[in-house]
Amino acid sequence: MTRLEAIAAELQSVDDATRLELLLDYANALPPLAEEYHAIRDAGLGMVHECQSPVFLMVEVADDVVKLRADVPREAPTARSFVTLLLQSFDGETPAAVLAAPDDILPLFCLTNILGMQRTRGLRAIYHRVKQEVARQL
Amino acid sequence: MQSYANDRVLVSTDWVADRLAGTGSVRLVESNEDVLLYSTGHIPGAVHIDWVNDLNDQLVRDYVGHTRFAELCAEKGIGNDTTVVFYGDKSNWWACYAFWVFKLYGHADCRIMNGGRSKWQAEERPLTREVPEYPPSTYSAQPQDRSVRAFRDEVLAHMEAGLPLVDVRSPAEFNGTLLHMPAYPQEGALRGGHIPGANNIPWSRAVREDATFKSREELEAIYLEEQGLAPDADTIAYCRIGERSSHSWFVLTYLLGFTGVRNYDGSWTEWGNLVGVPIEK
Repeated sequence: MTRLEAIAAELQSVDDATRLELLLDYANALPPLAEEYHAIRDAGLGMVHECQSPVFLMVEVADDVVKLRADVPREAPTARSFVTLLLQSFDGETPAAVLAAPDDILPLFCLTNILGMQRTRGLRAIYHRVKQEVARQL
Repeated sequence: MQSYANDRVLVSTDWVADRLAGTGSVRLVESNEDVLLYSTGHIPGAVHIDWVNDLNDQLVRDYVGHTRFAELCAEKGIGNDTTVVFYGDKSNWWACYAFWVFKLYGHADCRIMNGGRSKWQAEERPLTREVPEYPPSTYSAQPQDRSVRAFRDEVLAHMEAGLPLVDVRSPAEFNGTLLHMPAYPQEGALRGGHIPGANNIPWSRAVREDATFKSREELEAIYLEEQGLAPDADTIAYCRIGERSSHSWFVLTYLLGFTGVRNYDGSWTEWGNLVGVPIEK
């Protein structure tokens, strides 16, 4: 089982209320952005513009390993939780593993219903950024 | 300074802080865009009402019916005579939206905490993660009050009659350059532009940087003098899905005392997709 599959299985096994609690744990688990990325973030680079909150996301591919670094404000816990899910699923994986993941990841995490249509498009944009960047850097 | 048309309806963070203990007749309701934000910490005693999961029907594009609305209030310990104080993120957009839905179902005493969540936090007031439990109340909701809500055919007739329409979206959305707010997700309208004849008054013009509402004089300068709206004219406000326009509906109705403002919640995600209706760019 891949890390993505393990995380998805956990989210699929619980009811909506518990899933929201898990998401909150993920939101709290986003590691602080390493100092070396602060200048890039502060220059406004790496922002996911489709997202309603200032979401910073850097995707790097080197030596067949994908590296994800992100920063999301605490006032946007849903985006923080989603970014943490992506980090825990894909950071350190091979580009092939990232590209093999489903094109729409929200149903896999069972997020479509609890978030509603209007809240999910920004998250889809974050995910597409990851896949696009990995494909571009291959 | 001149007071608002309805001064009672807007309460300060101090007013709320003074009532944190013993809030038998007052219920704080937090409504946010972000579904998780309440759980990260909220004003002590506040309950959470989520616009997607609690207020929107999951099968019909509509609000939950008045029976479900009454159940929701009962679950939150809200009675018909409870003073309900709404606050939330994003300059109280979603608080105003929830306020509007409560008015749609005839709740008498609704208030907005001026400045919302961000002002409360900026003042370093207490937040808690403890979810309060209240004894269930009994609640009887009225069928929808159509005097605060406009449907598409009514909007079409309104437009054809040349009556005032207020488009509260950003100028780029109004002009049709963008189909959604800058930096916001695309939300599926086939055409960009606005309802013919609408005035463009972005909702954000009504608030200051600290998320509080501007003074009555400042608001009158914008809505009355600059835009020529009249307090006694039938007016329809709209945006993209009806949330920003419920904010402007609140401003016009309660702060400026307009008597006939309706919110068109179908807004651009309906109008921009309708067959056979005109748009303007």
